[in-house]
Amino acid sequence: MQLLLAEDDPILANGLIAQLNGAGFTVEHAPNGPVAEFLLGRQNFDIAILDLGLPMIDGLSVLKTLRATRPDLPVVVLTALDKLDSRVAGLNAGADDYMTKPFDFPELEARLRAVLRRARPGAAQHDVAVPGLHFDRATRRAVVDGEPVELSPREATLLELLMAQFEKVVTKEQIAAAWSGDGGEVGGGNTAEVHIHRLRRKLEGSGLEIRTVRGLGYLLATEHAHGRPA
Amino acid sequence: MPMDDRPEADLAQHSRFPPRNGSLRRQLLIWVLLPQLVLWGAGGVATYRLAVNYVNQAADATLSQASRALARRVKPIGSGLLIDFPRAAQDILETDPNDRLFYMVSTPPGEFVLGNSNLPMPPKEMRPRLDAPYFYDGEIAAPDEPGQSGGGPGAVVKARIAALYLTYGEPDGQQQWMLVQVARGMAPREDLFKMILIDTLLPMSALIPLLTMIVWVGTGAGLKPLLRLRKEVEGRSPVDLAPLHVESAPQEVRSLVRALNELLASVRQNVNAQKRFIADAAHQLRTPLAGLKSQTALAMAATRDPELLARLRLVDQSAARGAHLISQLLMLARADPDAAAASEMAPLDVVPFVREIVAEFVPRAMRAQVDLGMDDLPDQPEPLRINAVALLLREALINVIDNAVKYTGGGGVITVQVRPDGGDVLIVVSDNGPGIAQGDRARVFERFVRVTDQGEGCGLGLAIVRDIVALHGGSVTLDGAQPHGLQVALRLPRL
Repeated sequence: MQLLLAEDDPILANGLIAQLNGAGFTVEHAPNGPVAEFLLGRQNFDIAILDLGLPMIDGLSVLKTLRATRPDLPVVVLTALDKLDSRVAGLNAGADDYMTKPFDFPELEARLRAVLRRARPGAAQHDVAVPGLHFDRATRRAVVDGEPVELSPREATLLELLMAQFEKVVTKEQIAAAWSGDGGEVGGGNTAEVHIHRLRRKLEGSGLEIRTVRGLGYLLATEHAHGRPA
Repeated sequence: MPMDDRPEADLAQHSRFPPRNGSLRRQLLIWVLLPQLVLWGAGGVATYRLAVNYVNQAADATLSQASRALARRVKPIGSGLLIDFPRAAQDILETDPNDRLFYMVSTPPGEFVLGNSNLPMPPKEMRPRLDAPYFYDGEIAAPDEPGQSGGGPGAVVKARIAALYLTYGEPDGQQQWMLVQVARGMAPREDLFKMILIDTLLPMSALIPLLTMIVWVGTGAGLKPLLRLRKEVEGRSPVDLAPLHVESAPQEVRSLVRALNELLASVRQNVNAQKRFIADAAHQLRTPLAGLKSQTALAMAATRDPELLARLRLVDQSAARGAHLISQLLMLARADPDAAAASEMAPLDVVPFVREIVAEFVPRAMRAQVDLGMDDLPDQPEPLRINAVALLLREALINVIDNAVKYTGGGGVITVQVRPDGGDVLIVVSDNGPGIAQGDRARVFERFVRVTDQGEGCGLGLAIVRDIVALHGGSVTLDGAQPHGLQVALRLPRL
């Protein structure tokens, strides 16, 4: 995987190169804007990391030039600014993602992979997996600990949603919206609670649990890993 | 904030300008009224003296007539004198007890012949002349007649006296000098003077307060534009450095307002430069911190020495805290009204906004073993909307929830609630942590103040919250929760 790292700070660049190499990337380093533009024109990179504050030609200009020739190249921007800065708002046009310095490398790696995944549609489309649970999008069936589990259409939609937002809150509104997308009438009242209750029983023994988040919705997480069950 | 709240030190710095002549109005009043009073007083005195002069002239004319009339009644017969002065006329002259006429005829002058012998002689320096009366003031021992009012024995009456020297006898023979004196008591004239004095003073004493009032009201009306200007300055928030309205100031102080505006502009520039510096410095610090984190992570991966690993973990924590502090400092610079004025306020539906933030925070709360949730709001007929800079308000709420998670600790319960309250919207974050002692609640809003050694905050969180909420025209209050815990309420004006 060919990666261009355009970052002027030598210590950060040195560390990042080592970390990226460790994560399986082949890294070319550009310490300033002109070098970055030169390398981008010469080599066929799979992904680029651009620092916004590059010397001579700043990252945003490099990005604009790049977009004229390679509109599809995944780009993650590094910035010392944060999202309250208007310059970052301007990024949305050209960058696929951005990270605010300082950052943890695992998060940067996750974002790089996510951007790459989005750039290659088709890969892993019908598989959603979390530790201990596998969901086959094509058959709409779940596999808990190697055992297939039968799901009603509503339960399948619900589980897919919970897995897609693993360890994140799924609101009741999101559930209602997903069900209405399936067609069929959306029951009011405690319908979601009923289906959650059934799903919980089917997930028993998977090491996963669906937690109720007061006033908000539900969340799929590893059992007993965090706090007490709600 | 009224300017009067400023510390005394501010005033002391300007000791080059002593605080005399405090009120412009008082100055004007003194300068308008004092000369008026002096001039009016002088006018009164002049009027009085003039009136007295005329009265004296009129009285002297009467005395002069009387002395001539009396002189005509005295006729020389041979070497003697015939005085044809009927008793009835005498009675008329002497009866009015308040306006008494005295007379004396003497020949040669000084040798009493007729009338009242007590009349004083004319002063010596008056050189005798014929046919023209002299006038002078004198005192007459009151005649002790029965029925005399106010005149005990030895009583003295002040009188105006006319003295007329005449000659009689043959023009060719030996001529004799004769002195006719007529005197009139001063009492009636003094009464008259008193009346004149009162008539002069009375309207004046009525006019002076009236004039004072008119001048007072007039200067007040004239100074009103200045007062308005003062109110405009006083009513300002101390961070509002926008120029004053030159047009609203009266002509005379426009140059002052312009000078003030120039000062404000340079202060504004200074403040902005300083803010830019803080922001730039914070930005510049982030890149080396990123390098530090990256290298620390590599070092941790490379070593198996547990002691080295523990130290590297501390380095990593230190870098994380530095990064947090930088973010908070930046946020504080952003929450400043001047900087925030640049970001547009927009209507915001509070319930979904808060819900999203809390939902985002739930995984972090779970990692800290804290149960974070929301109190369901009964259905509202209308959405709770406020005017807000969403990114800033979000930062404020995250700070409050973050504090709650940090200080409540494992097993804690945090509940966020949104509800209407009068014309406001309340966002309340309650926890069941240790809370903050009543006495410390005001202090925690100050920058870099931490009332506990728990957690790893930098002491800027609540200062940021307060600044951001104030920017939205709202307020933050801290309350205790039962049985223990803290309740942070953000009150924001509802649209």
